[in-house]
Amino acid sequence: MDYNYGVLSVSATVQGTKLTNVTIASIDDGGNFRSESIDQQAVPVLEQEALQAQSANIQGVSGASYTSAGFEDSLQSALTQLGFR
Amino acid sequence: MRQLRHPGANPEVQSWHLHKREEVMGTVVTLDAYGEGAKPPREVHVRAARARAVLQRADAVFSTWKEHSPLNQLRRGEITADQAPPEVREVLQACERAKFISDGYFDPWALPGGVDPTGYVKGWAAQRAAEMLYGPGVGGAVVNAAGDIATCGSPAPGRPFRLGVADPSDRRRIACVVETSGAIATSGTSERGNHLVNPKSGQWEARAASASVTGPDLGLADALATALAVAGEEGLAFVEVTPAYEGFVIGYDGSWHATPGFPFHPLGNPSGRTHHQPAEAKHEN
Repeated sequence: MDYNYGVLSVSATVQGTKLTNVTIASIDDGGNFRSESIDQQAVPVLEQEALQAQSANIQGVSGASYTSAGFEDSLQSALTQLGFR
Repeated sequence: MRQLRHPGANPEVQSWHLHKREEVMGTVVTLDAYGEGAKPPREVHVRAARARAVLQRADAVFSTWKEHSPLNQLRRGEITADQAPPEVREVLQACERAKFISDGYFDPWALPGGVDPTGYVKGWAAQRAAEMLYGPGVGGAVVNAAGDIATCGSPAPGRPFRLGVADPSDRRRIACVVETSGAIATSGTSERGNHLVNPKSGQWEARAASASVTGPDLGLADALATALAVAGEEGLAFVEVTPAYEGFVIGYDGSWHATPGFPFHPLGNPSGRTHHQPAEAKHEN
């Protein structure tokens, strides 16, 4: 899929259960290419939030649209996966 | 297909949970059905297959990424609306209604490239898929199309569906929990960057980081959420006058505004807010 605008790509290194070296390449609204790094994000944070959500017994998360690739990183995905433990 | 069994509130009553994922419309759609008993009745699997077909069919007809979809043929003037599949006319009529209801803040005809009802179609398809999935033997069904969620029934007897609204500043977190017997759609500037056009100015701009709309039909909720994200807090006025639809806006500054009837639920409130802020004084139209 092409985007005329917005995030072009996300790259990250997986070390164990952590995502490191997360870099997002994007085009800003001036049409300029930008590349920025995000501080290390630990996957356990995602799970923690999902656990919290699970304790509230929710069946889904509503949020602005994500792509197939984005789904894997989403809270909805974490909820889905936790359902199978 | 995966099937789960876990005890219901009454440990003597078994309940089942059917879960499917469908890659369609450029995203992942999840379908979940809940019911009582040791396992789902056979016809539930048939309905689940039909629900997935509803989504695939909508993608085939309306995708702007599929070169020869009927919608793209219409956009290029290769066919007329009369020559297109009937659901194209149905969707465009619904979009006319949504444009009117939203004071023109939802306007598929204002986008570059020709009419683009994507902001309605995803919700419309997920709503029909949920209704297809829900039937005899199914206590509750929920279809989540990339954050736009349609529900029918309930996940367990006497317990309504509860859904989180993602925090626009950190979509791994939940901003609030909603309890609904219908649908919820959320629009905003998020993973894809700002893909929202303000039809009134022609600019790529949205006045809210996140806008959510609840109501009985996910198609209309989807369109209204898109409109609300563009209009911002002001847009709560057109949501509020629409019977059975409620809205909630999170500003770029983190502020919350909502219509008085927005179905917040106190559970699962990691942001620490204990109550919502009611909508500000209504604007005269």
